[in-house]
Amino acid sequence: MKYLYYPGCAMETTGVPIQMSIDAISNVLGIEFETMKDWTCCGCPGEAINELAAVSLAARNLALAEKSDLDLVAPCSCCYRNLLGAHVILSEDRKVRAQVKEALAAAGLEYKGTVKVRTLIDVLINDVGLELIRSKVKNQLSGLKVGAYYGCHQSRPYGPDHPEFPVWQDWIVESLGAESVFFPLKAQCCGGAQLFSQRAMVTELVARLLNNAEVHGAKCIASTLCPLCFTNLDVNQGRIKNRAGSNFAMPIVAISQLMGVAFGLPPRDLGLHKNVSPVDKVLAPYLQVRI
Amino acid sequence: MYVIKEAKAFVDAVANEPGGEKINECIQCGVCSGSCTTVEWWEYPPRKLIAMIRAGMKEQVLSSASAFNCVTCYLCTVRCPRDIKPSALMHAVMAIAEREGYKPKTPTLTLFRTLRESMKRGRIWDFGMAARFYFSSNIFNGFKVMPVALALISRGLMPIMPPKPIKSGEIKAILNKVRSIQGTGGKR
Repeated sequence: MKYLYYPGCAMETTGVPIQMSIDAISNVLGIEFETMKDWTCCGCPGEAINELAAVSLAARNLALAEKSDLDLVAPCSCCYRNLLGAHVILSEDRKVRAQVKEALAAAGLEYKGTVKVRTLIDVLINDVGLELIRSKVKNQLSGLKVGAYYGCHQSRPYGPDHPEFPVWQDWIVESLGAESVFFPLKAQCCGGAQLFSQRAMVTELVARLLNNAEVHGAKCIASTLCPLCFTNLDVNQGRIKNRAGSNFAMPIVAISQLMGVAFGLPPRDLGLHKNVSPVDKVLAPYLQVRI
Repeated sequence: MYVIKEAKAFVDAVANEPGGEKINECIQCGVCSGSCTTVEWWEYPPRKLIAMIRAGMKEQVLSSASAFNCVTCYLCTVRCPRDIKPSALMHAVMAIAEREGYKPKTPTLTLFRTLRESMKRGRIWDFGMAARFYFSSNIFNGFKVMPVALALISRGLMPIMPPKPIKSGEIKAILNKVRSIQGTGGKR
């Protein structure tokens, strides 16, 4: 299985632990990623106040990806949504298509509209398959109650998982031998986009999410691969009060990190030592070495 | 007659903005407001904002911080029975407010401007972007997030030095062209 890989800016900074674990598990599962050459920002940061600029920058990446006939995999949910969103807008909206064509021509590029943009979760479920994942598990994560957190953009608005109650990450969690815990806010927004500007609001959103997961019995959260959601939950919760009045200490691991633990990979290869939330206690029974 | 003309001018402006195309198809059912993740922070919730736009209340809409509370989670978009795409509609409102120089009381406008500038490098420089945002909005809030920043920096997750600019020439050419298409050539 070979794919073209679009990491996205955040995978080189706050997403480093996720990137490390993706590299590790793709080795085990036999997924080959060819990182796109000269990829740049997907345009997502400009989306709110300048959609045309956002679509044009996404289209630039798509135009480069089109030179290869592999599917384009974007692990970051925002990049995925923005790249796929640009593809959809360009195929539906004639006016924007003409404008973007003109903008791309300024850089000597053209997008014909043939790239297939996918999430890594989609690849894991539909190409790799749960059978293969199950066969690679060395440490059954039995007894671990995991809440799978999806964030918004991974399945909203374009899917392919259910836009409001996605299930694919739960399936992966179960195939690792862990128990997946349903909590209603599993695809609720964490507010990551406005983390800097509206702290009070984002704090409240994160608190609701984590409370909800706790109430439904999750002892650990297997977060989406989006570095924005992951960082927002992982780094900020220590400063947020839970229902009991103490600070949250919910272990947040990216789903790829959890897979790595089940595959018996060394925790340092999975970037687990870079997580801010207290992941060591809950994962210790399943690890041969300390984090 | 004059009032009706003015009202129509504003709703037309929103409908011409990317994302705002379907505003006239709204049936005011309120599913967007009911779905909105952040609705309690909105002065005018999404359904009301759409009604106000159609009533031509340009000043109130564009100087309110309401639309800027949209976290773009698309819950309204997947639920809207008329396929209005309210998230995109809010982006259209934000874009008009930004372009026409309205000053809604929210730091999010500054954040979005900073983010837009940061695209020019080709890749986002988290640290520089955050520093720039706090300097241009409220530096004290910057001090408050220091523990978070330190947690990231000490783990090597937030490089202080900027990444190498990638293809910034190409990016600049595209963004300049976009600006000239949008007809705001001389400004910013």
